[in-house]
Amino acid sequence: MQFRLEKRQEPSRFMLYATPVAAVVLTMVLGAIIFTTIGFDGVGAVREIFLTPLINPLKWQDLAVKASPLIIIAVGLSIGYRANVWNIGAEGQYIVGALAGTGVALATWEMTGWWLLPLMIIAGVAGGMAYAAVPALLRVKFKVNEILTTLMLTYVSVQLLNYLVLGPWINPTGYGQAQTRLFNADQTLPYIIPGTIVQLGTPIALIVALVAWVLMSKSMFGFQIRVVGLAPHAARYGGFSENRTIWLALLVGGGLAGLAGVLEVAGPFGRMVPSFPTNYGFTAIIVAFLGRLNPLGIVVAGIVLAITFVGGQVAQTTIGLPFPAVGLFQAMMLFLLLAGDILVRYRLRRVVRLPAAGEVA
Amino acid sequence: MSPELLIGIIITLVGASTPILFAALGELVAEKSGVLNLGVEGMMLVGAVICFAVTYNTGNPWLGILSAALASAAVSMIFAVLTLGLSANQVATGLALTIFGTGFSALFGRAYTGKPLALFKSVFPDALATHPLLRAVFGYSPLVYLSLAMVALVWWFLAKTRGGLILRAVGESDISAHSMGYSVIGVRYAAVAFGGAMAGIGGSCFPLMLTPQWVEGLTAGRGWIALALVVFGAWRPIRLLGGAYLFGLVMTIELYAKAGGGIAHVVPSQFWAALPYLATILVLVLISLRQSSNTSAPACLGKPFLPTN
Repeated sequence: MQFRLEKRQEPSRFMLYATPVAAVVLTMVLGAIIFTTIGFDGVGAVREIFLTPLINPLKWQDLAVKASPLIIIAVGLSIGYRANVWNIGAEGQYIVGALAGTGVALATWEMTGWWLLPLMIIAGVAGGMAYAAVPALLRVKFKVNEILTTLMLTYVSVQLLNYLVLGPWINPTGYGQAQTRLFNADQTLPYIIPGTIVQLGTPIALIVALVAWVLMSKSMFGFQIRVVGLAPHAARYGGFSENRTIWLALLVGGGLAGLAGVLEVAGPFGRMVPSFPTNYGFTAIIVAFLGRLNPLGIVVAGIVLAITFVGGQVAQTTIGLPFPAVGLFQAMMLFLLLAGDILVRYRLRRVVRLPAAGEVA
Repeated sequence: MSPELLIGIIITLVGASTPILFAALGELVAEKSGVLNLGVEGMMLVGAVICFAVTYNTGNPWLGILSAALASAAVSMIFAVLTLGLSANQVATGLALTIFGTGFSALFGRAYTGKPLALFKSVFPDALATHPLLRAVFGYSPLVYLSLAMVALVWWFLAKTRGGLILRAVGESDISAHSMGYSVIGVRYAAVAFGGAMAGIGGSCFPLMLTPQWVEGLTAGRGWIALALVVFGAWRPIRLLGGAYLFGLVMTIELYAKAGGGIAHVVPSQFWAALPYLATILVLVLISLRQSSNTSAPACLGKPFLPTN
């Protein structure tokens, strides 16, 4: 029996949404098998990583906390990816956004007032945008590939963070420990559900996704971004500037990564520390793809990835599974999703071979 | 500057460049065939952890290098099946490969945290490396000589052989190569596997000559620098060699600055740590200034090939 791939007239909408679900399910099945073969408790790993955080209501608040930055960053990235602008340095923009917010917090540390937090957030967005403006400028002016520049700047931002928290920003009353002062009450995100750890970052993430969805599907801006990505020649003919799209894509991606950064430092962290970079910027790339570059899909995908993070911590304590295993599960999910992509554009057809004349007895 | 210091700097910079040189050479061949594999960093990490594990358990570094090459080539096949077999997006798949390699090396490296590994011994008798000048010739790890041999081999293959000609044809014009009867996909599979094996050997340089203890994420973005180096070298092996040593020099400055001396006290150490990455960006800008457009890139780079449609 032979199969052949046949191009579809139009991409299959069913497959577009079915393949991410299939990728997650297949990851669980394959993950259980692979981890069992290499000597771990495979079934236990899948149960703890994918199901426990979902079943146990006590873990839901952790999911909200983890999913929020992932959703905010991934929404920004998805807009760029739709326009074929490959910003993979969201981690750097996230760090610089958080640093900008921290700078404001430290400068206003002895002040109080409702305006402190909004000011920090504006600084965070601006910081992320400024950091993404560098690769945008280099791409537009010098045609330098943004994949490499955004990534190189991520490594630079980690060094900038280390320099600041060890040097000029070190807590003067912290006995030389590498961290800043704890932000004051007006500089930290309020809790929105009493008795939980859910902060203002979670509703902001949902609003960001909703606004992006309206913009991308209902506005001229969204149309322009999609056309530039799908058909650059047509876009040029239609008068859409490619350079302007590159700028927009990187500034939006950087700004949202910066927003996620400042919400994280003013939220769960409450101060800047060297361990601030937690690879949210890289994981958000998986979230963006798993969510099919659609803001609403990204909300679901963000929760799925948050489940694996929270579940990874559970599995570490309950069955002793090392935390990096989570990275393998996440990569496997992305591999399977990309493999399934072909089913969106092609259909599998059975080839019925007619016996050739000579073969008939 | 004393000759001893100068030779010390040369030896350090050659060592620092060797992993990047291996990985970039492999990526160069893959890109020449028209495939952009952004998974170099991940494949290097897989190579590093496999090499560490095999060398630690067998005591034979050559076996470690071989296993690293095989493991990374195997991992690169995930990328090849997805992008060549299923024509998945090369950028996204390469990123997924890096995420995979990072997780893989972190998971399997944990068992070796803090365990020491003997450095790869020189293949020459010790007596040859006593004088500083002789040391500049004979004082390197065997991997360094292997990397130089690979530069020559890749150059010879691409420029002088029929196989190299076919590979370049596939990267420049897949449709013509296909109509001439060459298997575009087959050539690309081979090129990706070679790229994987070379990234694996590049990764094995870390435990064998640079950090003789297991450290999570020990490649620290060198795989990405290798990708930039291919652009810098304009897809030519000899230029790649020069570029790799230039990056090695920048990284050596960091090491010497950290050890203390001169301007190191004026500039914070984090600046020196960030310097290789900043230098990469600067170099990319300079290159694009010189070549008005990226004319030297293979014409089919990153584009999927579907013969039947």
